[in-house]
Amino acid sequence: MKLVAQLEELLYQAQHAPKKEELRLLDWRILVSESEEMSAGIKDNSPGGVYTPPSYRQGESGEVFLVWADGKCSQAMVQRGSHDDQEYWQQELAQWRQASYEDPDAVHIPSPEPLPLVTVEDRAIKAIFAGDDQILFDQVRRWLTDKPSKAKMQGSIQAAWGYRHVRTSTGLAVTYQQSQFVAGFSFDSLIGGVFAKRRLARPEEQAGLWERTLNLYESMHLDAPHIGPQTRVIFAPSMTEDMIGQFIIPNFSGDRVIEGQGAFSKESFLENKLVFHPHFSLLIDPLRPLEFGSYLVTPEGVPADRTVLVRDGKLQTPYLRVKDSVRWGAKPTAIPQGTAGLYLQHKVEVSWKEALQGVEDGVLVLAVLGLHTQEAVSGSYSLSAPHSLRILKGQIVGKTDVKLTGNFFADLAAPTTKTALSELDNYPYLMITTGVETL
Amino acid sequence: MEQKEIKELVHSVLAETRGFDGYVIVRAQSRRELGMRLSNGRFERVSTGADSGFGVQAFTKDGASGFATSDVLEEGVGQKLVAKAIQLARRNEAIGTKLNRTIWELPQVQAEEEKPAHKVFGEIPLAELEEMVMTLHSRLREVFPEGVWQTSYRQVEEVWCIGRTDGTNVSFVIPRAVLMHQGTVRDQGKAQSALIHRSGMDVSVLLEELADHALEKKALARAEFARAVCGAPQLPSGHYPLIIDYGLAKGLAHEAFGHAVESDHMNESVLGEAGKLRKGLRVARPGVNIIDGPLAGDWAYQPYSANGLVRQTVTIVRDGVLENGLGDVFSAEEAGMSVSGAGRAESYGHIPLPRMSNIRLIVDRVLPLTPVEHLMDEVKAVRETLLQHGELIEGEKNLLLLGYRGGQVNPKTGDFVFQCDGIVDVADPALPIYQPSIFSGKILSALQAIRGGLGEGCYDAIGTCGKGGQSVASSGGSHRYLLMDADQQVSLGGEHG
Repeated sequence: MKLVAQLEELLYQAQHAPKKEELRLLDWRILVSESEEMSAGIKDNSPGGVYTPPSYRQGESGEVFLVWADGKCSQAMVQRGSHDDQEYWQQELAQWRQASYEDPDAVHIPSPEPLPLVTVEDRAIKAIFAGDDQILFDQVRRWLTDKPSKAKMQGSIQAAWGYRHVRTSTGLAVTYQQSQFVAGFSFDSLIGGVFAKRRLARPEEQAGLWERTLNLYESMHLDAPHIGPQTRVIFAPSMTEDMIGQFIIPNFSGDRVIEGQGAFSKESFLENKLVFHPHFSLLIDPLRPLEFGSYLVTPEGVPADRTVLVRDGKLQTPYLRVKDSVRWGAKPTAIPQGTAGLYLQHKVEVSWKEALQGVEDGVLVLAVLGLHTQEAVSGSYSLSAPHSLRILKGQIVGKTDVKLTGNFFADLAAPTTKTALSELDNYPYLMITTGVETL
Repeated sequence: MEQKEIKELVHSVLAETRGFDGYVIVRAQSRRELGMRLSNGRFERVSTGADSGFGVQAFTKDGASGFATSDVLEEGVGQKLVAKAIQLARRNEAIGTKLNRTIWELPQVQAEEEKPAHKVFGEIPLAELEEMVMTLHSRLREVFPEGVWQTSYRQVEEVWCIGRTDGTNVSFVIPRAVLMHQGTVRDQGKAQSALIHRSGMDVSVLLEELADHALEKKALARAEFARAVCGAPQLPSGHYPLIIDYGLAKGLAHEAFGHAVESDHMNESVLGEAGKLRKGLRVARPGVNIIDGPLAGDWAYQPYSANGLVRQTVTIVRDGVLENGLGDVFSAEEAGMSVSGAGRAESYGHIPLPRMSNIRLIVDRVLPLTPVEHLMDEVKAVRETLLQHGELIEGEKNLLLLGYRGGQVNPKTGDFVFQCDGIVDVADPALPIYQPSIFSGKILSALQAIRGGLGEGCYDAIGTCGKGGQSVASSGGSHRYLLMDADQQVSLGGEHG
């Protein structure tokens, strides 16, 4: 018997005909994921070495959220395990009851609402698990054939497919199929590229990512002049994404804003305070087909919808899970999946190719060391970026090592900050004026 | 699942490998966890959970490997996973993987370790634990109401069993518990946060804190310091004589040296040459030692490797000279080091990698430091001790870096970056405080710059190591403080644009 069916039966019974009165439930919610995953990798130019062998994983697990008759609530992780007898689950129920606590804002279980149509499954990924997995091994072989001869290559490909089940006592019963495909590689552990979506990469996307990475890798072998006081700093899309993950995601989380632990106060949101330049907007969009951050329904049973966090530089709302939405007095919002599903937009966006031509004196920062150590609430950063690329007169001319000191909120508020887009990325290149010194 | 059940599971899965002419390692794990988080006087979350599963790593007779895992423990899964792992190993051989037969060389090991925790998991009802944590959280809010406080408590028990084709069967239990306070303070329109923890094996962590409130005192001192940092000036970037606390020293030892001597990294390590550990290389001044190994009762305690070998204590640097690395069975020989049982994995679903347990940076030249309760009193004591021993350099800043917020190292280039909570100039009698800024440079230069220690050994700086995308408990430390000379390859800070 499937885990979701076992749980549904258990919780339905506990709600309507409990074996013991103290185990009576008022409401409940179930999230179960059934998944299969395959991966293959490269370590130090060797395919499938002892640390990165071809791997298969299957799993069936989830979580339950329970509201008891006395208004207390419990949450627990659950696994199918080896048990499917009623006695085992009754014992579990009794343990969950022991772990109950009071949280009146958390006990609301949303009523079902119509779900949007969002494509989150690629049938070609399902075929991998039906035996057609040569695609993974072919990709590994192609990477190794095409790589620069002197480069030490690392790589990883993961494909996942499975079911997601969401059930609530208010009548929501959703089961849908979803898939994921992540393929990433690096040369000399210095420069790399990653593709991550809910579908396989198209040949032109693979080729584009490979070519861009090769070009940057070649530039990395040239020495470039040091930066100067006028040098513009340009975050590569992956770097912009990392900065968003460090400084934006935590500060727009509803619970942190409500508790006063974020960079912006609740009042700032309610007053729609201007915090970024009016050209910037920030939104969560889980409706884009086959994007990594797209979904149909949140684990709490809230249908996917777009949520604007910042419009024209002004705060609109933090992202709100159900409990936070009750405390905030608004509907629950969309939820980002890490940095996936979050989009930074600028009113004046040009292509990266065009923007690069206009850079007289810049440095392209591909990665930094220690970003996760920075104070998220203040927005301040003090980072080293060895292996950045120098740009002079519209051309990438070679490698340089820099350190950066500034404030990401100030960067997004500055009128001098510009963005540029690449078709290969969801996040833009971010062209800023900040503290930059030779490392 | 208890140790007995998990051993039976491993035994039954290994039975499915009869007739296979290769080698199989089965890893099974059962995990129980409870956690709670309080924010501003209210429970935000109380959760419980259990997770069990197993992984099968199969090797063809020539040494190509495949891996299959499951958390579904229904009948027939063992057979399915064994078949899948063998099939993947054969596919791997067909694509020309690098073969590795070192697993055949291991001796058979039979062991069943006793549970090391003093208190049984679940001995104290969850409702009582909630009450204890609420009491600690409420006290903190009362004594420092200007802060926004979060308190969390987490307790985990992992039961592991590793079985191999050669008849090896090793089982052990890893208990862990941690209590954390996180405070956010604001001053002059700026915010800073402080995170502080107390760790151990079981609920004794809570009981001891209820008795001595040691963590609470540290949390208050750190919150006061964070408030002072809010309005503090930025430090001009430069190369300074430094004093780093043991948390930062653990970070330096772990990120900068531990990872650089792990046997799977020798092709890309600044401490490797042609794939071999550069044994005999002088990396520090005489009297500097780096040691890694499990400590009983510690956050990162693990008595056996995830490949079923005893975890050994290794002297990585002895008297300033690189002596050994952290080797697992698969890459130690190739990396020119001994097998020390260094393979660890986040769970049954992960391939073990060579990695650290508790890493300590210890020096022979130690100045005494009398322990004092309050943080800034301790900073004063540091200044006085340094003055007394002629260690403060006239006319120069001597910067004490407090708190460890994490760091990152590129083992190939030797570049490192660490971040602290704030900086104090102990050369100035006014003990001015500065904003935190990056402590960065080259790892070999940083190690060469260490000139002494201050105070007793403190090895309870904890963290989670994220190597290879796996999250594994790590810990370590040093003397209460380490003294470092100014070095042109080690810098602090940067200028705002």
